[in-house]
Amino acid sequence: MPHILCPGCGHGIVAGALLRAICRLGLDQDTVAVVAGIGCSSRLAGYLDFCTLHATHGRAPAFATGLKLARPDLHVIVITGDGDGLAIGGNHLIHAARRNVDLTCLLFNNEIYGMTGGQLAPTTREGGVATTAPYGNVEPPFDACRLLAAAGATFVARGLAAQPLVLEELIARALAHRGFAFVEVLTDCPEFHGRYNRLGSGAAMLLGQIRATAAVEAHLAPLASTVVHPGLPPVRPPVETGVLVETTRPEFGDRLRAAAARWADAREDHAP
Amino acid sequence: MSLAVHRQTVPTRGVLFVGVGGQGVLLASTILGEVAMAAGLDVKKSEVHGMAKRGGVVFSHVRFGTEVFSPLIGLAEADALVAFEWAEGLRWLPYLKRDGLLVLDLARIVPPAAQRDHRTWTVRYPDLDPAALTGHHGPVVAVDARGRAMQLGSPHVANTILLGVLAARLEFPTALWEEVIERCVPPGTAAVNRRAFHEGRTLEPCALTWAQRWTPPQGVPGWRVAVATAWCKGCDICVRVCPEGILRPDGRGAVEVTVPERCTGCRLCEWLCPDFAITVHSRPAAPAGVAR
Repeated sequence: MPHILCPGCGHGIVAGALLRAICRLGLDQDTVAVVAGIGCSSRLAGYLDFCTLHATHGRAPAFATGLKLARPDLHVIVITGDGDGLAIGGNHLIHAARRNVDLTCLLFNNEIYGMTGGQLAPTTREGGVATTAPYGNVEPPFDACRLLAAAGATFVARGLAAQPLVLEELIARALAHRGFAFVEVLTDCPEFHGRYNRLGSGAAMLLGQIRATAAVEAHLAPLASTVVHPGLPPVRPPVETGVLVETTRPEFGDRLRAAAARWADAREDHAP
Repeated sequence: MSLAVHRQTVPTRGVLFVGVGGQGVLLASTILGEVAMAAGLDVKKSEVHGMAKRGGVVFSHVRFGTEVFSPLIGLAEADALVAFEWAEGLRWLPYLKRDGLLVLDLARIVPPAAQRDHRTWTVRYPDLDPAALTGHHGPVVAVDARGRAMQLGSPHVANTILLGVLAARLEFPTALWEEVIERCVPPGTAAVNRRAFHEGRTLEPCALTWAQRWTPPQGVPGWRVAVATAWCKGCDICVRVCPEGILRPDGRGAVEVTVPERCTGCRLCEWLCPDFAITVHSRPAAPAGVAR
């Protein structure tokens, strides 16, 4: 400390919420493992005093799956970003969800590749300017929660960095959930997204999240369109927050160990 | 005072229940109405509805007798006033007859508007002094119903305790009360409500109450905002979110606390600081002149 993140970046708020959630659940420091990929969000693993693993770009869910299978007693937390988790490691993420590995995945969505200089991410809003989209993004963004819910995650929630207490509650519930728990956190990148798109400072971007939530609650969401107006910054369509999916399904490690036990029994039966 | 019930002509009596939303005022008045009806009397009842938001004023008039013509109790016409909250009891005193019975819970529910200063918790709220009322009206039974209800394990049964206090001074049969309470209270709470009712019937007016023992800290600056300047990057988030506006950029890339004693301990700055640079301490501030 102080960490390397830019002034106004909300990632630190999310890290604080994660720490408070772990503290609230009373998890032992040595039974918590944090696996992170590459990117601003994944940098946070370096500041946490748990078992941490800094994996290759996008492969945090794959590393975490292996870790969880080898050490089922650990609470494995995956920290990933939108570029890391949804583009480069998109397949690893959806397959971890499909298998229902008992992981808690925290995806920091700041709509941009921040660490590498502001390239277009799969979550950049339509019309948003990035260094690789100087005339505005023409691609529709991913809805990470719907993607992961469709892939089979058994707990899907979305929180805002601007609402740290709600976020803490969501993370605590995700940690307590058995199965693949996915929490998308909307944070901000004032340096490479806010500045290029005239969205204001980090504080302004975070307060804007509160206003967007208020719009959803007031059923005004349809009014906020994704259409880009010349001269106005592009808007991120207001999204639903809170717990979106909560179901139960057999966990991957349990099924794998049960299958292995069956196989071992069968082999003994046929032994001469 | 006697509210004796006779088979012959019974003069109409009025009991006024007052409190704030969420205390069970309406349920208590419903139970009294049901009891009076089961005793063969005519009952009329009027109440304010729509105080679903907790904290709003709730009152309920109950009038019973051989023949009741109007549900409303006029000024100085209530034979008994059952106040679930101290200030509400004082507010409704003009409705009580000169010799009327005043049953008073010493619970103290301070409305937000009375919290003049949320930093020091000084409130504009009448003092808890049952003795001051004695002599001006009929019998005053001030009890600590909420405290006793909490001892019984459920703060929700304070209304039943107060009903018990009232029932001990009316002449409806106890069995009737028990039967009606069992019928009216939410499922699964009959046992605790029966205990609460009997607790109320035997409850003695008390001197020192739970509500009185709860005294907020007066004038103590209970919060201290500590800014780790070396970690602060001057991102301005805390400056924008502090409701009291006591944080400001110090001109050297960090923030400073301008009026520390105005901190209310809401911790928004601590929770929203991405750099873990702010900690809100709940212990009293260091004495003036002591360098940190």
